[in-house]
Amino acid sequence: MTEHLLLALQAAADTSHAYGEFPVIGARQFIWITAEIHLMFAAFVLGVPMFAVVTEAIGIFGHDDRYDRLSKEFTRLLLVAYSATAIWGALLVFGLSTLYPRFWAYLTAIFAPSMWVYAGLFFFESFTLYLYYYGWDRWKKGRAKLWHWTLGILLNVWGTIVMFIANSWLTYMMSPPRDITPTTDPTTIKLWHAISNATWMPINVHRVIANVVFGGAIVGAYASYRFLAARTDEERAHYDWMGYVGNFIAMSALIVLPFAGYWLGREIYQYDQSMGITMMGGFMSWLWVIQAFLIAVLFLTGNYYLWIGMGRIPGAERFQPYTKYLLIVLVLGAIVWGTPHTMIADSKELAAMGGSHHPFLGALGVMSAKNTAVNLMILTTFLSFLLYRRANKRPVVPWARTGTIIQAAMFAIAAAIVLFYGIRGYFVEAIVRIGFSVYQVLAVLSCILFVTVIDVLMARGAQSLGTIQWGKMPPRSQYALFILAVTFTWLMGLMGFARSGIRQYWHVWQVMQDTSKYAATPALGYASKMISLCVLIFLSLVAFVFWLGGLAEKSTYVAEKGPGHVGH
Amino acid sequence: MWATNLKIVGIVLGTLAVYTLIANKIPQVQSEVPQTLTLGANVTPEQLVAAGEKVFNGIGGCTTCHGLGTRAPNLLTDEKGTGPIGVRCGKREAGKNCKQYLYESLDQPTAYIVAGYQPIMPVMTKQLSPAQIWSVIAFLESQGGTVDVTASDIPATAPTSPTSPTSPGGGGAGGGAAFAGGSTDPKAIIAAAGCLVCHKLDGQGQTIAPDLTHVGSRRDAESIRKKILDPMSSIAKGYERLAGIMPKTFGTMMNASQLEALAQFLAAHK
Repeated sequence: MTEHLLLALQAAADTSHAYGEFPVIGARQFIWITAEIHLMFAAFVLGVPMFAVVTEAIGIFGHDDRYDRLSKEFTRLLLVAYSATAIWGALLVFGLSTLYPRFWAYLTAIFAPSMWVYAGLFFFESFTLYLYYYGWDRWKKGRAKLWHWTLGILLNVWGTIVMFIANSWLTYMMSPPRDITPTTDPTTIKLWHAISNATWMPINVHRVIANVVFGGAIVGAYASYRFLAARTDEERAHYDWMGYVGNFIAMSALIVLPFAGYWLGREIYQYDQSMGITMMGGFMSWLWVIQAFLIAVLFLTGNYYLWIGMGRIPGAERFQPYTKYLLIVLVLGAIVWGTPHTMIADSKELAAMGGSHHPFLGALGVMSAKNTAVNLMILTTFLSFLLYRRANKRPVVPWARTGTIIQAAMFAIAAAIVLFYGIRGYFVEAIVRIGFSVYQVLAVLSCILFVTVIDVLMARGAQSLGTIQWGKMPPRSQYALFILAVTFTWLMGLMGFARSGIRQYWHVWQVMQDTSKYAATPALGYASKMISLCVLIFLSLVAFVFWLGGLAEKSTYVAEKGPGHVGH
Repeated sequence: MWATNLKIVGIVLGTLAVYTLIANKIPQVQSEVPQTLTLGANVTPEQLVAAGEKVFNGIGGCTTCHGLGTRAPNLLTDEKGTGPIGVRCGKREAGKNCKQYLYESLDQPTAYIVAGYQPIMPVMTKQLSPAQIWSVIAFLESQGGTVDVTASDIPATAPTSPTSPTSPGGGGAGGGAAFAGGSTDPKAIIAAAGCLVCHKLDGQGQTIAPDLTHVGSRRDAESIRKKILDPMSSIAKGYERLAGIMPKTFGTMMNASQLEALAQFLAAHK
């Protein structure tokens, strides 16, 4: 059926009682705010348990109580955050059922059984959390501690399934199976057929990784606040270390996030090329320039935090002269990545530009250049981590020099592969060029993997050049962690707008048209105001949650006896 | 501590303000809901051009590929020294004037692939109404050429692509008209139907859908005929996720002779 006919059919449909109105701000804005903040809290309550269970495991298997206390401190915050998630979720459901009743009826006609499962799992998840938190001190030793850790894993399992179910609803809206048309009776659609749509699994994977990033960033922001508010050096040292751990987890997961994004993008293109083109080259094309800017901020700020952190590590002065070169690579990479290229332009704009592309920037704005830039930025960030890791260590294994040369060679080879395919991409067809990005990604990931393995083996029995002076960080390093948390949250809002906005005037892509007065998809300027508002509300509530957490119980921080921590 | 709190609030608000400001400084493009275009019998060329410009920059989605010079030829300023589309459209195909050429390019986009570009353009007569199609043609003619589209070119009522009064054989895709003017040349049918937008055949086309080069070794003529008439009747192994993408309308868009010629042609591709 042609799109023209689809539109006529939809327009002819009776739209009375299809939409409600919300006072003052309007129906769409209400749904936008409730959905966005619910999702941010949901990411928080999914990301932080992942963080908590990993740090608890490090505490158990590394016999380091600091990690156990860190884990508990965050689980305490989850209790209030769960309530906030549920409240915003309820507001969203009430909003959908009263402001978009016809659309909601359509969705429930297909997904009702999964909605009951969702509610049931949320129930299990909540009680698992209560057991996990309140049983912390009771099941603290031996086998009981392992059972307690298993509860943490179970908490993550429930949470992940809950997220997968919710993802199936929103991905169905994006990419309903092709045999479903506007005339398909929703009650005849098989549940699994609707769930397993084209973008479901890519979104699932992307969100799992993004939640880890988000959890780490929020932990970092919390730690930085406590660092700035600390009254003693010991307390400051503890929260400095916590901030480092949060940032490390966030940046590590961020490195693999673009690859999940590529997969999602490819699936969108394969599902519907016009949707993909709308996303990357249509009215949303400028959004990716903003995204590039935000990711540049993340890379630069994350590296900046590490470089400042090297000031508290004896021995790091050996590596500090190199940071300026790393900065140059990152800035150049960010400039290339943010170069506009395939933008919607009218005849006047094209005439003003002197052609379809800028004579110089046109060459830098293509994917060959951008993929090369982002891969080199990832390699550079990894190198920053490596230098930080090795700052106060001198390897003593007999093959240390050879190992370092091999590591350097791996960096050089990976960078050469990235550059080779980046340049070669200019001389081949688009379909071949797209395949090159896989080689670039594999080169970078292989380098990260093998260099890390060598580094871990080389660090065995390494001579210490001095203990890390936790807490000896200037306040600007902590403000950098705040910028990271705000940027991650804003980026989440932006990408949510991209994912949802590419449906344009469809509730369900080419199946159910939005015939409300809010059907037009707003421009990025308006969207940015909504995103900033949502981020502000969310961060204010998170600050309140942190404050409540502080009221409920004193910090789990216990003053260390003896010298500062050595490990990372 | 209040000073620290204020600094943190300042950093958060400052960061949000910077991002919001940047997002408001870039060009603002809103995705509009397509509106029905109604043109009266006395529509002037200027009105057609103005309406066509809106379609071109809006619901038509033309600017996504055209005008940029990467995915499709630049239509608005210059394409490799040949000028804007209004200048070159009348010279593209011998025996076809600008209006004919532009209509056929919109109705059968795979018929004329400019060297160096992929056959990715959708059949626009399936996406836009006749009034929208003809207004776009008027707009394109106005890019350096003379607008000769008139109200008489626009059929009074036609849900899908009309038969062009100036297009030999028409380009009709619906209402009983057939692909490629009813030609039974399988290659012409394949080109007109845009099969190679998804399928590959004899080294040409895309690999989104199954390669048809050896389709005859997998399906007989009956199976191919059935598949064209009802694409969901059987799904090739490995392409289950793409089930439903192939249009279900091909059966109504070609006559019986064409269907038979196409089925036999493909079945012979062992």
